Amino acid sequence: MLIRVEKGSAVPISSQIAEQIAMHCAAGKLASGDRLPSVRELARELAVNQNTILRVYERLVREGLLEMRQGQGTFIAEDSTGRSLASHRKRLGEEFRQMARQGIALGLTADELHEILSKALEQVQPPVNKQPAKSKTGVSS
Amino acid sequence: MIDPAIEFIDVCKRFRKQEVLRDTTFRVERGRTFAFLGRNAAGKTTAISIMMGLLSRDAGSVRVLGLDPATHPVEVRRRVGYLAEDQTMYGWMLCEEILRFMAPFYPTWDHQLALKYAKDFEVPLATKIKHLSKGQNVRLGLVLALAHRPELVILDDPALGLDPIMRKQFNRDLITHLQGEGRTVFYSSHLLYEVEPVADEVAILDAGKIVRHAETEELRRDVKQIVLHREAASQLASETRILDQRPDGADVAVIVENAETVIQKLAQVGVEHRIVDLNLDEIFEAYVAGKRSSPIAATIRVAGPQPCDA
Repeated sequence: MLIRVEKGSAVPISSQIAEQIAMHCAAGKLASGDRLPSVRELARELAVNQNTILRVYERLVREGLLEMRQGQGTFIAEDSTGRSLASHRKRLGEEFRQMARQGIALGLTADELHEILSKALEQVQPPVNKQPAKSKTGVSS
Repeated sequence: MIDPAIEFIDVCKRFRKQEVLRDTTFRVERGRTFAFLGRNAAGKTTAISIMMGLLSRDAGSVRVLGLDPATHPVEVRRRVGYLAEDQTMYGWMLCEEILRFMAPFYPTWDHQLALKYAKDFEVPLATKIKHLSKGQNVRLGLVLALAHRPELVILDDPALGLDPIMRKQFNRDLITHLQGEGRTVFYSSHLLYEVEPVADEVAILDAGKIVRHAETEELRRDVKQIVLHREAASQLASETRILDQRPDGADVAVIVENAETVIQKLAQVGVEHRIVDLNLDEIFEAYVAGKRSSPIAATIRVAGPQPCDA
């Protein structure tokens, strides 16, 4: 499990760590039943206060992403992928709101913002249903 | 009830005409890692010297592990591990020799532990102190500060002069050997981003006064920058303490405490605003160098209805 702590960031360290663990779950790098490093180990590894790591683990336990088993350690919970996806969707929603605000501040209309988003989607994920080979030749001529 | 590890109540200290500590009050509970932040010359080292019984205070009360360092300096020093800001040790001694030299000063000195720390911290025992690098020097100081198993460790800017890799290693040692064993750590520094990952709580000292003391993460939640229209900002300024404000066109960016309450209030009244999360450096700057009063009132006309000059 690779976790990066950015010092001097506006994102609190506990949130940085929690988000990265959640991301590893969502991406399938951590699967249900995987054991996480102990609080002590991770604190030493990242050079972060043990209480901070403990709070991160406790928070993720409350969110249902992790489970603590007495005397055995901390594990990725059952159904962690679904839960981490849900929390990511929430965060993504916030980021979109932030971007929409920036767009409005720049004087863009809702249509223009939609257009930017569709363009971005196209770039990342080429349309599948539109038989891209045909339309491409049509356009380029 | 158990005594706090350190307690300062209304402590004052002046050197001739210069007032260094002014009614300084704070409390460090046992088992906590407490970051003592301040700019150079804010009074950090003076406060530490008073804790260690190396300086007398002019007024107020000080307790360290329940003892008054002014009347029990030797006892305090025996129970506290102290790493001075720029400690000079006998350069001609071998590291091994200074360990044996220091041992008799402390009834609780554990020489096996001293050797173990020296090994863990990679201190070359057979080298003369004057030939140590800055990093090795700090780590030797740490071995000397820890070998008598102190309940409380006072570190005066230990990371000063260490490179980033050494600083991370130093923080790791602190986490494993001090926090891991439940000791109280009082860590003075002006490198905020170094302290943030390890500190349970932070206190900001400015011109001899504690201007803020909070849990590290609580401070981040509590202090935020809010960007809003000038008029709304001047309204806000009349009811909320503003730490810093800077104008930005028709808007003003203000830094406030109690951010959650303030934001709720703004939302209730329906004032348009944008919230900016701050890092610890920015929060620190707002407290020690923030612009409290600003020309909001004077320039508010600009933001009003368009002037009707043609």
